Amino acid sequence: MLTILLVDDDTEFTDVACTIIEFLGHEVLTAATLEEARDWLTKETFDHVLLDFMLPDGSGAHLFNELDALPKQPRVTLITGHPSVKEVIKGLCGPNVDYLVKPIQREEIEAVLSKKKKPKTDEDKITKHFDLLIGESPAMKDLYKLISRVSKTSANVMLLGESGVGKEVVAAAIHRASESEGPYIATNCGAFSKELIGSELFGHEKGAFTGAVGKKEGVFEQAEGGTLFLDEITEMPIDMQPNLLRVLENKVVIRVGGTKTIPVNCRVVSATNRTMEEIAQSKVLREDIYFRLAVFPITIPPLRERKEDIPLLAKTFIEEFNKENGASFKWEETQLSTLQAYDWPGNVRELRHFVHRAAIMSDPNGAKLELPKTIESPFAQKQSTTPALQAGRTIEDVEKELIYATLEKVNGNKTMAADMLGISTKTLYNRLHAYGDLSKDD
Amino acid sequence: MRKVNEMTDDELAQLHVFVHDARKPLNRISMQAELVKMALDGDVPADKALQALDKIITSAKDCSAKLTEMTAAMRQDTLASPHDK
Repeated sequence: MLTILLVDDDTEFTDVACTIIEFLGHEVLTAATLEEARDWLTKETFDHVLLDFMLPDGSGAHLFNELDALPKQPRVTLITGHPSVKEVIKGLCGPNVDYLVKPIQREEIEAVLSKKKKPKTDEDKITKHFDLLIGESPAMKDLYKLISRVSKTSANVMLLGESGVGKEVVAAAIHRASESEGPYIATNCGAFSKELIGSELFGHEKGAFTGAVGKKEGVFEQAEGGTLFLDEITEMPIDMQPNLLRVLENKVVIRVGGTKTIPVNCRVVSATNRTMEEIAQSKVLREDIYFRLAVFPITIPPLRERKEDIPLLAKTFIEEFNKENGASFKWEETQLSTLQAYDWPGNVRELRHFVHRAAIMSDPNGAKLELPKTIESPFAQKQSTTPALQAGRTIEDVEKELIYATLEKVNGNKTMAADMLGISTKTLYNRLHAYGDLSKDD
Repeated sequence: MRKVNEMTDDELAQLHVFVHDARKPLNRISMQAELVKMALDGDVPADKALQALDKIITSAKDCSAKLTEMTAAMRQDTLASPHDK
């Protein structure tokens, strides 16, 4: 039961609102003016204040400072008559104030009162390992151990993992854990043409080539005393690799168009989305370079192998979105289970984009996230976000879904599907006829 | 009638007051309707529903009166406005 202060000068509204609030099992006191509200605040402790924006003796917003100064701060829901006021106040007060726009419905009152203000418990708190990485699965715990160990050395690290697993974040974590004094510099070897990659990595002298109007430090020089992250290392042109090998072996660079050797000292963390076997077979990376770069190879697990981390990641992404956009979206347990059931072939990157897309598509004034009906990825089969088994669905409906899922699994082979389903082929045909999916000739 | 962006600050403030006043009975209607729903569900005594319906009718009349008042006031402003002369 909550103790609520309802501040509104419309007595007819407060009478009905009190009936509803009391019916919901809460205790409610009313005030028609700011003065009366202030009086109550000195006498009573409230869990929630429902506050009209326009009161006879001033705006409800004038009460904010006083509410903030209370030893036990109540949740505040501002009642406004106009949606535009809501937007203005939202900008001023941030996401911790809820809003009700008149005319108000019972469900809206119920919704704001059921949002409990609870201090973050350890259970709710999501730990960011090395201030960057999220996940408590055994696979991630192994990864943290590897990061801690390698960060204490100066060994070059090669990160292997599918696209979207967070290789750059792991590289940054290694840098952070190493506590080195130099900077963290990241570059993508696949993003530069053959002509430009030399300049990007090793720098160039003025006039080295057309357009080289000044001298430029390469990333090896920039990362002096720190960490250089070379993403998509296997996309580096093969004829440029001997130059890289020379730098890794001799720890000196010569800028393009220059003659002077410049000593460099940084840890190189490289990354690729190819497996070790692929690297060996496809010859995209010279063997000598591989052994220089992969002194300590680390394989980052794909998201489908650490599904227990999906809720933590989804919560973190939505918290970030809420913070940036002043929203207050919350996941429902069933939604998190749906996300967990999906394989996420695009890994954490795909999950993050999916969460942001869902947040953008949802009502910005509510807390409920609207998930699209299917999670679609060009890299995976469509997956329904509706839980397969849900109370209220008919047996016919579930049966139909099971039949189609089985047919899809066996590429439409009806004999195999019937076998898997434990029914006769004739029964399967009958069902498909009933769904209108077969002509009489089939 | 002049457009909103052609109104003076005073006229705009007056319009906002009218809209605010008209929204008040609408809010009452909405809340009383919730009470009727609760009465139909047996959550509050049935006689509350009857009272609520009476209040809905009163509020509907109030809202109508406010809109009439607003239209009359705006017509006067329009007639008095030098822009339209």
